[in-house]
Amino acid sequence: MDTKTAVVEKKGTLLDAEALLRAPAPAPLVPFPIDVRVPDPSRQTPAVGQRTTRPDGRLHGLGQTKYIDDFYVPGMLFCKIKRAGVACARIISVDTKEAEAMPGVVAVITGKDIPVNTFGPSLKDQPVLADERVFHAGDGVAAVAAVTEQIAADAIEKIKVEFEELPPVLDPLESLKLETPGVHAPSANIYGHKVIKKGDIERGFAESYRIFEGSFRTQMVEHVPLEPHSSLAQWDANGRVTIHSTLGRITLGRADIARTLGIPMSRIRIVATVVGGNFGGKNEITTEPVVALLAKKTGRPVKCTFTRPEEFYSSTTRHPIIMDYKTGVTKDGKILARKIRLVLDGGAYCSWSETTLGKACILCAGPYEIENLYAEAFVVYTNKTMTGAMRGFGAPQVCFGYESHMDDIAKALGIDPLEIRLRNALKEGSFSPTSQTLHSVVVRESLLQAAQRFGWNGAKA
Amino acid sequence: MVSVTLTVNGEKRSASVAPETTLLKLLRENFNLTGAKLGCDVGDCGACTVIVDGKLVNSCLMLAGQVDGRDVLTIEGLATTDRLHPIQKAFEEKGSLQCGFCGPGVIMSAKWLLDQNPNPSVPDIRDALAGNLCRCTGYSKMIEAIQAIAQDGAKA
Amino acid sequence: MKRRGRGMACMWYPIGFTVAANPSAAVVKVNEDGTATLLTGTVETGQGSLTILAQIVAQELGVATEDVHVVSADTDTTPMDTGAIASRTTYVTGNAARLAAEKAKLMLFDVAAPMLGVKANQLDAKDHHIVVQGYPQRKVHIGDVANRARVVSGEPPIGSGYFNPATVALDPETGQGKPFATYVYATQIAEVDVDDETGEVEVVRIVASHDCGTAINPMLVEGQVEGGISMGVGFALQEEILFDAKGRQINPNLTNYIMPTSLDMPDVHVDIVDNYDPTGPFGAKGVGEPTCVSTAAAICNAIHDAVGVRVTSLPATAEKVHNLIKAKQAQEQRQIAAAG
Repeated sequence: MDTKTAVVEKKGTLLDAEALLRAPAPAPLVPFPIDVRVPDPSRQTPAVGQRTTRPDGRLHGLGQTKYIDDFYVPGMLFCKIKRAGVACARIISVDTKEAEAMPGVVAVITGKDIPVNTFGPSLKDQPVLADERVFHAGDGVAAVAAVTEQIAADAIEKIKVEFEELPPVLDPLESLKLETPGVHAPSANIYGHKVIKKGDIERGFAESYRIFEGSFRTQMVEHVPLEPHSSLAQWDANGRVTIHSTLGRITLGRADIARTLGIPMSRIRIVATVVGGNFGGKNEITTEPVVALLAKKTGRPVKCTFTRPEEFYSSTTRHPIIMDYKTGVTKDGKILARKIRLVLDGGAYCSWSETTLGKACILCAGPYEIENLYAEAFVVYTNKTMTGAMRGFGAPQVCFGYESHMDDIAKALGIDPLEIRLRNALKEGSFSPTSQTLHSVVVRESLLQAAQRFGWNGAKA
Repeated sequence: MVSVTLTVNGEKRSASVAPETTLLKLLRENFNLTGAKLGCDVGDCGACTVIVDGKLVNSCLMLAGQVDGRDVLTIEGLATTDRLHPIQKAFEEKGSLQCGFCGPGVIMSAKWLLDQNPNPSVPDIRDALAGNLCRCTGYSKMIEAIQAIAQDGAKA
Repeated sequence: MKRRGRGMACMWYPIGFTVAANPSAAVVKVNEDGTATLLTGTVETGQGSLTILAQIVAQELGVATEDVHVVSADTDTTPMDTGAIASRTTYVTGNAARLAAEKAKLMLFDVAAPMLGVKANQLDAKDHHIVVQGYPQRKVHIGDVANRARVVSGEPPIGSGYFNPATVALDPETGQGKPFATYVYATQIAEVDVDDETGEVEVVRIVASHDCGTAINPMLVEGQVEGGISMGVGFALQEEILFDAKGRQINPNLTNYIMPTSLDMPDVHVDIVDNYDPTGPFGAKGVGEPTCVSTAAAICNAIHDAVGVRVTSLPATAEKVHNLIKAKQAQEQRQIAAAG
């Protein structure tokens, strides 16, 4: 689609651009249907275990659910964020004059306007808007509030940023080396390290019938929620801001916004009643402080919705993990010792890396009884999109590792894949890799149930 | 500015919009019919799916000017004051929608399919939904719901 | 030529945050007609958590799910919640909601006891009534009790509760400790067809057997597993964010970031493992994330079974599988030549 500035440039005044949006939203065309279901009273209770339909599901099917981008508030402005477009750089200057002069643009802010410009669920290494340094191409460097979404999108094109580009670090194994320059220098590239040590792996390997090694790696993927990140901020005359947001964690979100804006929590209200998919990607603030500041600066409600490309390069992704497995087994395929090294590509900022590192390290041994275990995991900075929480926190990656590895062992020993797993599976009361006694354990039951349903009748001929 | 007059869900509506306005924006911002969603704005995800003159369309790829004089059906045009559309009812009973964002688009595709083919096979259904991305459901319960309607012989 | 293969993968996954406190609080208000409202700070992201929480509260109060209205995700009006993350909502927020409902229920029992001529600890709440344990003929409708609580006793039945999983910090050197209160387990088995000339993989069928403790709502559990499998299929075969040499994403759009459509999904069969966890609300644990954990491994093991090649990096694109098949064939040729 070609540039959409034609109409506004012709008219050239703020007032005409506003006229495009002045009409109040008309009433919906179709009245709300009333189809009250009265479930059969004899089947209403007990409630647990029932295949109850969802009240919100009905509204979804009618198209009546209002997601944040569906909200229209009188006087509302639209915000778009300018993205760095370079993976590693110093910001020399940000020139917003041309954007500010555009008809329809009401306010522009940069990183310098953020009172406390750092946040993060553990390490607070991420800026709301990059101020001095850019660490990945999706970093925001400025934000515009305008009367239409199109004007805002055009205005960010007019913002000129001068960068001093620096060589990016892209390979996590390179980043792991001590001589590689720190992405967040003076901090080291390795920003997280976890070890799980149990028993005596050297003795375990010494007693093994055979030792197997395998290396695996997974790729960076994105949550792709159908609804992009969105937030809408409105202030009242008492200095309270209400932010409707797609955040999955409103308690933490409120704390982050209080901190970055330097205001008390009692002056912040976060509402996140309706979200179109999260999968871990909407668990930290993104646009919220930006719209709050723009709303304060302009005195009008401000909404910001990510474009689909921003969903990819400006929101968190799943950690690529490089996994090295070494397993010692008996002739019957019983695991005696396992050694694992994990290297997590930790992207430009910490985000949820600490949690992912911890979980990956704990889970990477697999759901198996292993007396002798050594698992070591590292997470390193790279100048790529920040890696954060994505459905599984490292579990899908390590499961790919340990289960591929298990099948390789089974094949080499001539043991049926189902049988080798049954022989090693955790049981009720087993010790986990961290020596916790496990309860409510049903690995074997799930294996047998799935095998029976599938029709898995022993090894293939 | 471009003037458009069209029929939306059986009612004549008109609006004056900038020439580059998409049908999606026309529906959402001028008529407050926010059922059709903006998921990508470039025709990849199908969240904006509506029916124009009987044809299934990604409304983000059509300009408002192109629907002048045409007949547009959106999700808001399916139910009546006292009755859910059979597709909406089946989706509710089978739990076919989770976050719901792709829902209106999927239901319009399902409606279009059942209008053409009241007794679709599973491959037919998968084909008809191929332009609608869903991240929550894996499509399984949507396919089940559409099969159930076909089996009931209910008119879509 | 298409070659069929099958592969399995099992997994385990924890509920809640690693060691760290991750509490949830909840408030249950019983209305004067015996229906109720639950206030929870959790965020419904599409997984159906609000319905699950309503079912848990309804079970505790002995009423129908439709009788419980859930208000969520507003820092002004709902109590704190650590959030919809780490598959914790059913277990942690669910426990909080159940505890809150129990407190409100006990207030109702105090009001109902004199109405029924028994002690409060002799009462149960079921089928919309407060009933005497062991003598169910003596009962009173919950609405009558709730109304009496307001107009006679002057004790509005409002219960507030919170829950935090019990953990033990991990030793910094050895990682030993109790990081999570509970875990869930699952197995997925995949059946694939691999075209040994193009490397294209078609997933024909996936059987999934998932543990979630008590399934509060089996339909929603199935929905989560089916959705998780679709993410697993994408992870296994299609999805990848690509970067250029300068660190910029090459495919930040849905045209070139390939994810599963309805055409890519296999037939999925979901079974829920019969289980009960006494630490969870009515025995429930959780299911959100575990659903996408073992899919890729199952598919790659099935590829291995079908064409004898081991995919060691994801995604297993047609090109990658094709190259692995060619390399294997070349190696076999060399071995035959060496032997001959």
